[in-house]
Amino acid sequence: MASDQDLVVETVRDILSGHEPFVLTAERPWDAGLWSALAEAGLTGVGLPEEAGGSGGELADAVAIVRTLAAGAAAVPVAEQLLVAGPALVAADLDLPSPEEPLTVAVEGTVAAEPSDDGDGPGRFVLTGTATDVPWAGVARHVAVLAAAPPGIEGAVLAVVDVSGLTASSAVNLAGEPRGSLVLDGVGVPGALLTPARAATLRARYALTRAVQISAALEQVLAWTVQYAGERQQFGRPLGKFQAIQMELAQMAGEVTSTAALVDAAVQALGRGEETVALAAAAAKVRAGEAVERVAKLAHQVHGAIGFTQEYRLHHLTRRCWSWRDEAGTELAWSRLLGEALVAAGPDDVWPAFTAVV
Amino acid sequence: MSSNQLTLAPAPPSEAAERVRLEVREFLAQELAAGTFTTHVDTWLSGVDPEFSRKLGARGWLGMTWPKEYGGHERTAQERYAVTEELLAAGAPVAAHWIADRQSGPNLLRYGTEAQRKEILPRIAAGQCYFVIGMSEPDSGSDLASIRTRGVRNADGDFVVNGAKIWTSNAHHSHYGIVLVRTGPPGEGPRGKHQGLTQLLVDLSLPGISINPIRILDGGHHFNEVVFTDVVVPGDMLLGTEGAGWHQVTAELAFERSGPERFLSTWPLLAEFGRRAAATRDPAQLAVLGRLSSRALALRQLSLRIAAALDRGELPDIPAALVKDMGTTFEQDVVDEVRRVVDVPASLDSPDPLGRALAEAQLHAPGYTLRGGTNEILKGIVARGLGLR
Repeated sequence: MASDQDLVVETVRDILSGHEPFVLTAERPWDAGLWSALAEAGLTGVGLPEEAGGSGGELADAVAIVRTLAAGAAAVPVAEQLLVAGPALVAADLDLPSPEEPLTVAVEGTVAAEPSDDGDGPGRFVLTGTATDVPWAGVARHVAVLAAAPPGIEGAVLAVVDVSGLTASSAVNLAGEPRGSLVLDGVGVPGALLTPARAATLRARYALTRAVQISAALEQVLAWTVQYAGERQQFGRPLGKFQAIQMELAQMAGEVTSTAALVDAAVQALGRGEETVALAAAAAKVRAGEAVERVAKLAHQVHGAIGFTQEYRLHHLTRRCWSWRDEAGTELAWSRLLGEALVAAGPDDVWPAFTAVV
Repeated sequence: MSSNQLTLAPAPPSEAAERVRLEVREFLAQELAAGTFTTHVDTWLSGVDPEFSRKLGARGWLGMTWPKEYGGHERTAQERYAVTEELLAAGAPVAAHWIADRQSGPNLLRYGTEAQRKEILPRIAAGQCYFVIGMSEPDSGSDLASIRTRGVRNADGDFVVNGAKIWTSNAHHSHYGIVLVRTGPPGEGPRGKHQGLTQLLVDLSLPGISINPIRILDGGHHFNEVVFTDVVVPGDMLLGTEGAGWHQVTAELAFERSGPERFLSTWPLLAEFGRRAAATRDPAQLAVLGRLSSRALALRQLSLRIAAALDRGELPDIPAALVKDMGTTFEQDVVDEVRRVVDVPASLDSPDPLGRALAEAQLHAPGYTLRGGTNEILKGIVARGLGLR
């Protein structure tokens, strides 16, 4: 990793050290203080171009920030803003809201877009329907909504909605992170038509973002588990000295390392703007989700009963990972998409299709 | 993770590797069309075809990374990686030269004398000279340092070797073995037995060597027991440093454990399954294809990283152990996952190629997680990388 990213990571860690993870509740659904500190440091605009109001910097910087925050179980919509909604708005030539205000993304639900006839010309749409599973609904000020295009038009509409004043439903994910719905009742908003490929890329970005978060969180879970196994004594020696425990930790390391390798490769493909990034993201999301299954299970097994309690830190990450693997498209959805793509070129060309993914 | 020994830098994209990949793909399509080979599972163990190996040598696809003065082609490890991947995916008969090209040649390059290199490496690169691994013994499997084969210097400075090596793949088709023998006493302490071990370069046609077949469970003859009775190995066939055998073996294992053959042995089954899924478009089958592919894609990235590290002269033995553990588990899982979503009995006599591929992959499956170090040993190495040992 380049020294630039080391510096960014160090800055984020410094800020994080003053903001311990906590149990999210309806009264305190996110870490507003942490967000303010990150925004003040300009970190909520990293990777977004300065001319669009961002802080500049590379994709790798934004990824480093997201990884660090994920490993710290930070309850802020930075991943959605820096890696999904922000870049999608910039790519679609839509105005980026101020990075100091949280921006999120909505790709699920029944929202339909109709071109607006309010006289403001092209680039305005009226959105009607319900956006579901919206990360940080009720917390984010703006939502980049992927809506169905008007009938007869291919692709989708990406629109920016200022949701202040709208009420989000109270749904949360397994970690208590807000994932509510937003009812859009004919709101007129700026938007842009996306080709099917661009809409697919947006979904892929979202999936890859969750994979990045999972990868970072699982690395932390492994580190915590190795540390715990070194400290916890039973039968007169540390747990980590027992072969049975070593086998479990080695299995966790295999999952974590494999996931990181594929996620890194998919991020690099995204950075190079490769056309196959949707498939690379699909593979990364599926692999990360599968890793969650084994790593979280084994981490809890090694930690024993203390890791099953609310007072202990482990659940801040395992509950998030159990949710993140289902969000932005389940493993089943992405593995089907990948499987379909691999056979698309013909029955004898699965291998060439495989080697072209990433 | 950056603080442990498991993480390597990503491999940079390589256009040269993608070019040679397409050349190999084209060559394999022609060979398949001409019927010079048929696709099988696990052919880097079972597909011995010296003529095919010589063809690869003639095209410059063996000894690819070695210096030209030794018959090599001075290409990158990533280019070699692409070539080996294509050969494995096609289920091509690569077993004859596999060990020599993968690890014996690099071992000779690293530790061999000038005479040894000049004599042997060009023949390996030409696809004409094949090697066996002389590590395991009848009483020393996972506990490699407990080997009992001895090499005793005689008055002429030659090594008189007595003992037996086992599981030596394709010894009956091979010319040399790199044989680990005890030449000196072990030292004190738990790691003392790593001392006094030496690698010898042994011509398998020497008097006193007998090669006895060991059939695997499907009746196939790939393994052998190689028995040494007062075999006189010339002193100049010492490989590397006398007494440094353990260190040299560890280096060799980084090559042995990290290549794409550690997760692609059953790819021909997955390809056949892909053909089926392409025809049925069954959502469950497509999902399994996608899921297994995502695992293979991750393994590929790990393996590529190791290839790049080997290219830089590093010896990433711990990441190599990790990729082999993960990869060989995957090879077995391919059988399990595929058979859950296809209604096809595994049989070598099946009229359905998918049934035959399932049968081949299943019958070879126990070997994947044993050969080259059991997965338990490998996990122990990974645990060491985590700082637990």
